[in-house]
Parts: sequence; C-alpha cells; structure tokens
Amino acid sequence: MSTNDQNAALSAALKGRARAKVLGLTFDDVMRYFFGGNATVAVIVLLLILVFLGKEGAGFFGQNQVNLSVYRKAGLEYVDMMRLPMEDFTSLTRGLNDARLVRFQALLASGKDAEQANAALAEFDAFADKFGAVAGDARGLMTDLTEVVSAVKTRVQVAADNDLERDMLRHAGREEEAKALKIEEVDFQKEIAAIKAAAGAWKPTADAMLAGLKAATATGRAAAWAKGDVLLEKVFVKAEKFAAELPKVELRMAAWNWEEPVPYSRSMAAFLFGRDWITASFWQDWYGMLPLLSGSLMVSVIAMIVAVPLAISCAIYVSEIATPGEKALIKPYIEFVSAIPSVVLGFFGIAVLGTAIRSLSQVEWLNWIPGFPMSERLNAFTAGLLLALTSIPTIFSLAEDALANVPRHFKEASYALGATRFQTLVRVLIPASLSGIISAVLLGFGRVIGETMVVLLCAGNRIAIPDFSEGLSAFFQPVHTMTGIIAQEMGEVAQGSIHYRALFMVGIILFFASLIINFIAQKVVRKYRISIG
Amino acid sequence: MSSELVDKPSKIVNPPSIPPTTDTSAAPMIEVDHVDFYYGKSKALHSVNLNIAAKQVTAFIGPSGCGKSTLLRCFNRMNDLIEGTRIGTGEIRIQGVNIYDPTVDVISLRRQVGMVFQKSNPFPKSIYQNISYGLELQGVKDKKRLDEVVEKSLRGAALWDEVKDRLHSSALGLSGGQQQRLCIARAIAVEPAVILMDEPCSALDPIATSKVEELIQELKKDFTIVIVTHSMQQAGRCSDMTAFFYLGKLIEMDATQKIFTKPSQQQTEDYITGRFG
Repeated sequence: MSTNDQNAALSAALKGRARAKVLGLTFDDVMRYFFGGNATVAVIVLLLILVFLGKEGAGFFGQNQVNLSVYRKAGLEYVDMMRLPMEDFTSLTRGLNDARLVRFQALLASGKDAEQANAALAEFDAFADKFGAVAGDARGLMTDLTEVVSAVKTRVQVAADNDLERDMLRHAGREEEAKALKIEEVDFQKEIAAIKAAAGAWKPTADAMLAGLKAATATGRAAAWAKGDVLLEKVFVKAEKFAAELPKVELRMAAWNWEEPVPYSRSMAAFLFGRDWITASFWQDWYGMLPLLSGSLMVSVIAMIVAVPLAISCAIYVSEIATPGEKALIKPYIEFVSAIPSVVLGFFGIAVLGTAIRSLSQVEWLNWIPGFPMSERLNAFTAGLLLALTSIPTIFSLAEDALANVPRHFKEASYALGATRFQTLVRVLIPASLSGIISAVLLGFGRVIGETMVVLLCAGNRIAIPDFSEGLSAFFQPVHTMTGIIAQEMGEVAQGSIHYRALFMVGIILFFASLIINFIAQKVVRKYRISIG
Repeated sequence: MSSELVDKPSKIVNPPSIPPTTDTSAAPMIEVDHVDFYYGKSKALHSVNLNIAAKQVTAFIGPSGCGKSTLLRCFNRMNDLIEGTRIGTGEIRIQGVNIYDPTVDVISLRRQVGMVFQKSNPFPKSIYQNISYGLELQGVKDKKRLDEVVEKSLRGAALWDEVKDRLHSSALGLSGGQQQRLCIARAIAVEPAVILMDEPCSALDPIATSKVEELIQELKKDFTIVIVTHSMQQAGRCSDMTAFFYLGKLIEMDATQKIFTKPSQQQTEDYITGRFG
C-alpha cells in the first residue's frame, strides 16, 4: 500500500467514528445526563430534607423564648420559687414514711400483729403529724397563688389565641369579624402587683415554718423512741439543711423582677440543658432535652457494651479461624439479623425478653447484681440488649471487611517469621485493621442511636434522667429516647406549635449526632487506608 | 500408586541434574527428592529433584508459571496457607529432616527458613518493631538483647547507617529499596539457616537492586540463600548455582557460569538467549 492509500484508509476510519445523534445528543451525552440527573436528584432531595428540618425547627427558640417570658410575666416563675422548698419538704416527710415502714416491718417480724404494731408506733405517728403540719400554712399560700397565676396565664393564652384568630380572619378577608373580635390585653403590672401583695404573707409564714421545723427536729432528736434510728437521723440532717436553705427563697423572691426580659440564649440553654420535658401541662411546659439525650445515650451505651465484643469476636472468627464451611454458614446468618424488622424485634422484646429478664432478676442468688430484682419489665437494659442485636450485623460486617482488607502479605510476613495464628492475629492483623474496626464500632453506634421502633416499644418511655445515685441500677430504669419521643408525640401535635418545633429540634440534634459520628468514622477509615498504603 | 506410574515418563524426559560441582564435600542443605506438588487437582511440580548446597546462592529461573516460586514456598511450607495445596510423592529434606513429616513443627521450621517476599512488606509498625517482631514471637523480652539484635540485623542488611536515627519512626516511611532491605534484616534477625527470596528486586529501581545484590553476596557467608528471579542478569550476577524450570519441571541445574555459557539442554539455551519466556 502506498502512503496515500494508508492516509485515505486512516481518515475513512476516523470519519467512521462519528456517532449517531438523537436530538443532537450522542449516546455518551444521554448516558452522562441520565446518571448526572440521578445524582442531582439525590443531592436535591437531601438538601430539601435539610432545609425542611431547619425551617421547621428554627422557629423553636423564638417560641420557647415567648413561652419562657410568659412563664415569667404571669408570675409562674415567682410561684415556682415557693414551690421548690415545698417539694423538698415533701421529700422530708417521705423520709419519715420510709422510717416508719422499716419500724413497722420490724415490729411485724418480732411477732406482733398489725394492730399492735400501729399502737406501738403511736408516738412516732404523733410526731410525724406534727412535723408534717409545720408546712401547712406555707403550702396553703403557695396553692392559692398557684391558682391566681394559672388564671393569669390562661388569660394570656386566650389573648394570644384570639390574636392568632384575628390574624387568620384578616388573612381570609373577613375584616368585620376580625374587628368584632375583642381581645383582652393582660395588664401584667397590675396582676404582678396583686400577686406580690399576696406573697407578702410568705415571709411570716416561712419564719413560722422554720421555727416549727426547728422545734420539731429538736423534740424528735431528744425523744427516747427515736434513739439510734439511722433513717430518722438522716431525715433530721436533711431537715437542718432544708432550714438553712429556706431563708434564701425570700431573697430570691425579693430579687425577682417580672420585667426582666428572657434572653434568646436562655431559651437555647433551656432546651439543650433543660432537665424536664413536660408537655401539655396545666402549669408550664418545659422542653429540655437532657432526659431524652441521656436516655438515648444510656440505651446506646448498653447496646454497645453488649454488641462490640460479640460482633468483633465473630468478625475475627469468621475472617481468621473459621473453615470455609463455617464461614458460609455464619456470615449470612448474622447478616440476616439485620433483615428482621425492628418492630418485630420490639415485639419480641416486650413479649419475651423483658419478661425473661425480669423473671431472671427475681432469682434469689442473683441479688448481688445492682438493680436486681427489677420492678420494670421494660427498661434501658431490655432495649439496649435488643439494640445490640440490630447493631451486631453492622459492626460484624464492617469489622470483618476491615480484617479481610489487611493485605495478605502482612500475614505472610508474620507467618514466615514463625508466628502462630494467634500471634499473627493479635500482633499484626488487629493493629493493622484497628481503625477499620473502630469505624465499624462508630457506625454501629450511629445505627443504634438512630434506631426508633425498638426503643419506643421496649425502653419503658419514662421521661427522666437516669438516676445514678444508687449506682449501676440506673441501667435498669425505664428511659425515653430522642427517637422515641419524636415517633410518639409527632402524631398528636398541632403543626407549627411550640411542641411541634421542639420535636423538630430534637430531630435536628439527632441528625447532627449521626452526622458527627459518621464523619468521625470516615476520618478514621481514611487514616486506615493511608496506614496500609 | 498410579501417580507414580504417571510420573515415570517425566523422570525420563528430565535428565538427572548434574550434582553441584563447587561444593561436593558437604552434605546439601536442602534436598528435593522427586517432589510432586498440587494446587487442588492441577499439578504444579512434576517430580522435581535437586540439591541445594549450604552457604551458597542458588537461583531459580524460568518463565512465569514454571513452578519456581511454588518450590521456593515449599521450603518453609508457606504453601500450607493456601487452601487445597498438597505435596504428592517425594520428600523435601532440610538438614536431613523431611519437613513434610507430620511430626515437624511448622513454626520452628519457619524460624529456620526465613523468607523475603516479592513486594516489600514491612509491618505498619516502627523500624525497630519490625526487626524485633520475630524475637518477640519467641518470647524474648530483654530490651538489651533486642537492641543488640536490631542493630546487628540492620548492619547485616546494610541499613543501619541510613536508619539509626529514626529507629522508632514508621517503617512505611522508608523508600522501596530500604523497605526491602528492612525485610531482609527482619528475616536474618531470627538467625535462620536458609533465606528464601521470592523475586526480591522485581519492584526496585536499578540502584536499589544493586544494593540488594551486594547484600546477597555478603549474606551468603552466613546463610544459605535461594533466590527466585525473573532477571537472568541478576541470576548471573549473584548466584553460584542456577536451576532452570519450565512447565513445572526442572530442566537443568548447574553452576551458574556453565548454565549461562554452555547449557546442556536446548530449552535452557532458548530461554537464556531470549528465544522464549
């Protein structure tokens, strides 16, 4: 072939490569737009979710600020200052009741019948009555004021509701009706002055209470029947502490200023660090997420304590020790667990596991375990065990991948130096895959903290910060979780209400928690890839 | 046994290898006695029969898939790690002991027969820990002894001067050639009798390669070295004996100089002159 012929053939071949076009697009273009379009849709959907979360949640702090300032302006905060010592006093009388119960049972045990035992406790009861009566006047005053401020608050709410209605009427163009709607503005100045006047009685009442308490404590201490009673002595010590605290209430009340504005930061702090989540209350709603956060963390920690050793041991066994046959059996089996719907797991938790654990806790020789025997069938521990089950497949699969991804030549080098299988595992394989294993654990944690159905069904749903004052038995207390509260309450709140927005804020916190956990997990994995290099 | 019957012709096709001319007095370090080797059902080695003399460098050459690496990995039973491998008939004896005997402890065999791999594979640990690893496996905890062995091994691998100031930094920060010499140091730290090298220079540049080759010359004073290489120049430069494999059979084994100048088999000559392979 001559050079010319070759050139002609070449240019013909090049021309032949021109692509068929549809609507001016080549096949490559179509593919590009198709896949690019899908990716774009995914990104947009995620963005929309983020925007929606932010939009719905953002209004919360403003609304909570209003909520808190009504709490102040209507005088609820003022009355709560008096309520606090009353609640402390109630716990004192509860201490007395406990002491009585112990005595009563001791008397029964010594062979007396109930009537005789009650008779023997007559002196005690007389004292307890006198002790309890000390707070009577103060409590009465507080109760009266509670009603007064509740009425004020109700009027504020009615005014706010009417205001809202008028806006809606105006919006709908029904100007006449809007004008006809009468809104009674609450004159806080006047109301607070009245409340403060009524509260003027607090100081003499409190003084009388203090004197009565001191006298009662002194008689109790001196009485012959009270000698050597440890529980009673505890109550007396607490009573002294209470007596020292009581005058401070007055100071706080004097310093209280209803006009002091509630700052925005206070609204945020009340949400983030608030110890109460109380909704639809006749008195005051609180949206503090600490009990939910601590509940979520507690359940997750229990789950991780159970799941991590199990899942990682499984991963080590499957990747390093198991025969191919065992591997083919164990791996799909564990991964199958993640196919169980969480509602089924929750159901299993209620019907089987919770009951089983409670019966186990009533076995006598297990009494040394803190929290045993336990009273609640559904608690953080039950939920944690089930959550462990849901996170084991995640941790197992990722840890197994991490171990399997350790380059083969590390293993060979170790064996070639005369290492046993165990030495190779502990000294080479685990260190080399450690960051992968850590990220597996983190992702398992993220999975657990976001799990909803199991905790909703099995965690007991009591909104309270776990009480560690009695040690590890806190793990057997019922808790509520961030995910659980959203699932439980979202259905019954009015859209746009403060409660609705508070739930969204909880969702946002949850979202960020998961985001951070995943972010850290990815960072760790990246480091791991580099170290294997 | 039927397999023996099948193997008979291959014995006839393979001329018996000429015994080593350089060192006939001493008993051979490794004796490979009519070894067959299988990966599952496929046969990778056909009745290989050769002797490896002590304190010499023996090179295995041959095209890819000829079984030279397989034979090398039989010497420390590294093939045990691969599922479904087995040795058929025949024996491999090291210092007179059949290493495939069921009573042989593989762990102590591997301490006697060290290995350097094709891809340098230091552990993701410090330089010091890489060397001390083998001794720690044996339970040595004495810091002074470890320090001595680390220094001695690094000097032995001609790496000491380059790394003495950063013994505790990661071994992965070393260059490719340094990593490979570190692997050699790691192998000699446990004082094996034999060092197996599986294409130790295939991933190295020419300068690093020449350093490793010099090192091999040094090491042969103390160790018996078996090296698998794809580079005929390398076999020519640094080995005393050369064995040529083809399709799982030993074609010829002789003094290196003789193999490269006057091979007795036509196949060997074809391979060496570059006509195939």
